[in-house]
Amino acid sequence: MIIKINALRKTYVTHERGSSFIDSLKSLIKRKIIQVEALKGISFNVEEGEMLGLLGPNGAGKSTILKILTGVLYPTSGEVEVMGYVPWIKRKQYVAGIGAVFGQKSQLIWDIPPLDSFEMNRVIYDIPARLYKERLWGMVELLEVGEYVKKPTRQLSLGERMKCEFIMAMLHDPEIVFLDEPTIGLDVIAKERIREFIMNMNRKGITFVLTTHDLDDVELLAKRVIVINNGEIVYDNRMDALRKFFGNRKLVTLVTQKPLPDLNGIPGVYVKDMITPHNAELELNTDLLELNRFIKSINDEYIISDLTMRPPQIDSIVKELYITTNKSYTNKEV
Amino acid sequence: MRRGIRLYFMAMKNSFASRIAYRTDFIFSAVMIFISELIIPFITVLIYKTGASFPGWSVEEVLLLQGIFLLSRGMANLLFFGLVWNTLNRVREGTYDILLIKPASTLFMSVATNFEPDSIGIVVCGLLVSIYAFTMLSLPGIMEILMFILLFVLSMIMLFAFAAFMAGSVFKWVGNSRIYEIFDSIMSFGNFPRSIFTRGFQTIISYVVPVAAVGFLPASALLGRNPEGILTTGIVCLLFLFGSLSFWKLMLRQYTSAGG
Repeated sequence: MIIKINALRKTYVTHERGSSFIDSLKSLIKRKIIQVEALKGISFNVEEGEMLGLLGPNGAGKSTILKILTGVLYPTSGEVEVMGYVPWIKRKQYVAGIGAVFGQKSQLIWDIPPLDSFEMNRVIYDIPARLYKERLWGMVELLEVGEYVKKPTRQLSLGERMKCEFIMAMLHDPEIVFLDEPTIGLDVIAKERIREFIMNMNRKGITFVLTTHDLDDVELLAKRVIVINNGEIVYDNRMDALRKFFGNRKLVTLVTQKPLPDLNGIPGVYVKDMITPHNAELELNTDLLELNRFIKSINDEYIISDLTMRPPQIDSIVKELYITTNKSYTNKEV
Repeated sequence: MRRGIRLYFMAMKNSFASRIAYRTDFIFSAVMIFISELIIPFITVLIYKTGASFPGWSVEEVLLLQGIFLLSRGMANLLFFGLVWNTLNRVREGTYDILLIKPASTLFMSVATNFEPDSIGIVVCGLLVSIYAFTMLSLPGIMEILMFILLFVLSMIMLFAFAAFMAGSVFKWVGNSRIYEIFDSIMSFGNFPRSIFTRGFQTIISYVVPVAAVGFLPASALLGRNPEGILTTGIVCLLFLFGSLSFWKLMLRQYTSAGG
């Protein structure tokens, strides 16, 4: 195991005040102290070479986990071990072996070219000149940023800058890389190139822990996903199992010759959208109602003139997971 | 150690390159700083022209003190005082994370990544005022120069300790930009000979908050005066340094990393 986390808790102390002028004045004298439980005792492990996706709504605790894993924050309690280190003890030795890309916090120096920032990292990580050149130009070629690395960072597009952020994080050949929303705000092409790069690096044995709101990132990159909500793990399993998490489901678009009644009463059928009386979008739970029986009964009564079927979208499943947060589904067999 | 020096020079080069990316602003800023720092020496000359004086100090001696004071502050601003602004901004924005994930001392990284080229204006001003004062004074001997170097280093230590105290405090009291103004007000007492203050206040600026170590003591050494309490002030400065480093370390644990 490259990462071991056990009963990790993080509690922040923050202040609350109202939005009115009187509230602002009151807060000058006395502020209401609130304890926020960002992480409520989570535990999980990560294998070497794994690509783990951390999913969760805003404020779920994903970034807090990454900050603790990168040695930026101290936890309130719990045990963390990464590559044999406790991140907040012997920080310097530990961070020499990790890389990190924060989608919203740049490591590049704004007014000078990325090449100068890379050179600074070479000195910080004490990378031998030959290895540095080999790695740098290898990644420059892979990410196709040869013409950008000599331009001031502020003149780069977000996509170009993010590619350079990846080079910055990988120059010292880390064993494990933490990615905090690495594709945020990027266009489709830039996302694709960055995902290819991550997959490429993962094939070389580098472990990745990725937090994102972009479900495509997780679907295309991660084999395992952990869903966090309100500081707790609500799902921890393989990515392909997530689709089946709430049962075997199909999204069905139905066009019939006769008008359809309200199908919501049928067990296993959930009407998502009644487009017209002859056209409906349904979600079918095939564990409760077999597909052939459903089609036969509809066809017998209303005569199907068109029918399309597709697996449920991952975002609707995740959304459902976010909503049903009172119950923990960790490692549930599906 | 060698890596640290290489890193410092690399960071200095990058800070300079970043700053001169906005050439006009940089030149204006350095010139404005230069002019504004000349005000106190200029007022001192005006005071002496009216016949008034600081007891026991000639105008050229006071100018030398003020020149050395500016030189100390300029060097501190140029080399390590960016620590305060760097920490203040990074803690407020949550980008202090970036320094924490580097395998180097965070204090060192906070200093190295914020070299302030604009402060060259204060250094030049300090040098010019000191040289001007020396045109009217006799040149110091080798012992005076050695003593001056020692005390100048001590003044740098004191200023570094102040910077570390201020930077450490912003981990807890985020965005407290007024802290520099408080420091500046305290420091302004260093512009004048210690002997013009009351006995009690002299004790405070020598041994409690040793502002006298910046300017007054190094200048006194160059002038061949041997002011009392150099050793005690030196010890206080070192204690200040030790205290500030411990304070920094303690406060760093308070960092909460703003933003996602």
